Amino acid sequence: MSDNTSSTSPISVHSALETILRGFLTDDAQTLNQTTLINSLGLESVVVLEFVTDVEDHFDINIDLDSLANIQTLNDLAEAVIAQGVE
Amino acid sequence: MNSLFDKFAEAAEKRDSLSQLGTNPTQVVMERAIDATTAQINGKPTILAGTNNYLGLTFEPECIDAAKHALTQSGTGTTGSRMANGNYADHVLLEQEIAEFYGYPQAMLFSTGYGANLGTLAALVGPGDVVMLDADAHASLYDGCKLSGADIYRFKHSDPDSLDKRLRRLGDRASSALVAIEGLYSILGDYPKLSEFCDVCEKYGAMLLVDEAHSLGTMGEHGRGLSEAEGVLNRVDFIVGTFSKSLGATGGYCVSRHEELSLFRYTSRPFIFTASPCPSVVASTRAALKLLREQPERRERLWTIATRLYNGLSDLGLTLGPQISPVVAVRCHSAEYAMSVWQRLLAEGVYTNLIVPPASPDGSSLIRCSLSAAHTDEQVEQIIAAVGVATAGQNAT
Repeated sequence: MSDNTSSTSPISVHSALETILRGFLTDDAQTLNQTTLINSLGLESVVVLEFVTDVEDHFDINIDLDSLANIQTLNDLAEAVIAQGVE
Repeated sequence: MNSLFDKFAEAAEKRDSLSQLGTNPTQVVMERAIDATTAQINGKPTILAGTNNYLGLTFEPECIDAAKHALTQSGTGTTGSRMANGNYADHVLLEQEIAEFYGYPQAMLFSTGYGANLGTLAALVGPGDVVMLDADAHASLYDGCKLSGADIYRFKHSDPDSLDKRLRRLGDRASSALVAIEGLYSILGDYPKLSEFCDVCEKYGAMLLVDEAHSLGTMGEHGRGLSEAEGVLNRVDFIVGTFSKSLGATGGYCVSRHEELSLFRYTSRPFIFTASPCPSVVASTRAALKLLREQPERRERLWTIATRLYNGLSDLGLTLGPQISPVVAVRCHSAEYAMSVWQRLLAEGVYTNLIVPPASPDGSSLIRCSLSAAHTDEQVEQIIAAVGVATAGQNAT
């Protein structure tokens, strides 16, 4: 686990994902929750992949492209992160 | 009721919006190819500044004569795969010449550049293996990985540190991973620090594949690509390339310093189940490769005018790709604006490439130009002037 996530929990995983995602949103007031569909945020596909790359680096994990294909919501992404052993 | 055709609704919408431009960028017809840098489009001579004809060899008499001779001697096609129908002597000779060009023991031909990436990756990696792909890798590299069944991970574009992190996270699996990058990225015309990628791969024992599709003939003292330019031909494991750009034909190849490449012929489905390159194409490719080797002045000319184009467009206040190369991309602030610039350039007699999301590497909209050693100085100035007209009064970015 990376230094900046030394005390992660499922809640903190969700919180971290939201924080990282907000860095890619142009609308600061955009509402985000666990069921937010990532592809509903108006982000280009390349930006979504940049977001995922930053998520990987934040949690010090790799997420393969096949797994990404099944991720639709922030909760899906959180589960993929937690499945890598992040707590 | 659902239909298989439902999924085409988005494509139809895109087609309709492109058609409203006047000339649909995906449906341009070159009524007549006049020479390596000019074609008749919409009834008038148009400068080709988007065809990847880097060395300008498509109308070279030696290449045309070789193709004509092969047509007469060997017929129009091979009508099947090499495994089923046998090898033509020129297939074998071209493989020997490509291998010798790189100083490697093995080369393998494919019928297209796309097929070369597909065939190499599908043979080299498989289920349980890992491929690390540059985020901006060409679709053929992605598709080859998918065909292979390997686990695919992306790293940040041209970022060795991003690759390093991901290989480290693999643990023991890193030593059997393949890293795939390109020598010259085709949209923005940028190129990576290849030696740094070699360092990272060697640190973890991973293999490195470099797609030199756009750098064959354009980079390196002898035109072998970025691997030669950076002096790492002895550190790269596999080089994939195409005959459809600098060599003015069609087809692709893989070369390697590893003898095991010869075994790919028995396992690579895109190689086994594709009709082999036709004799005239192989013959013109052999002639073009000879010219590539004998005429380094074409490469020097290419970089001279590439520098002129880059500086000329930069002087217009436009935002361009990060590095000077034979591919010069102009950034536009929106897809709509890029479409209008592209349309105006065509009206001004300059054919370029319109790149809009999702085809662009960073989500931006671009006008992409590629140069040819055969472009005259006057044509380069005409391209610059036309871009100036097409972007006049507006800040492209």
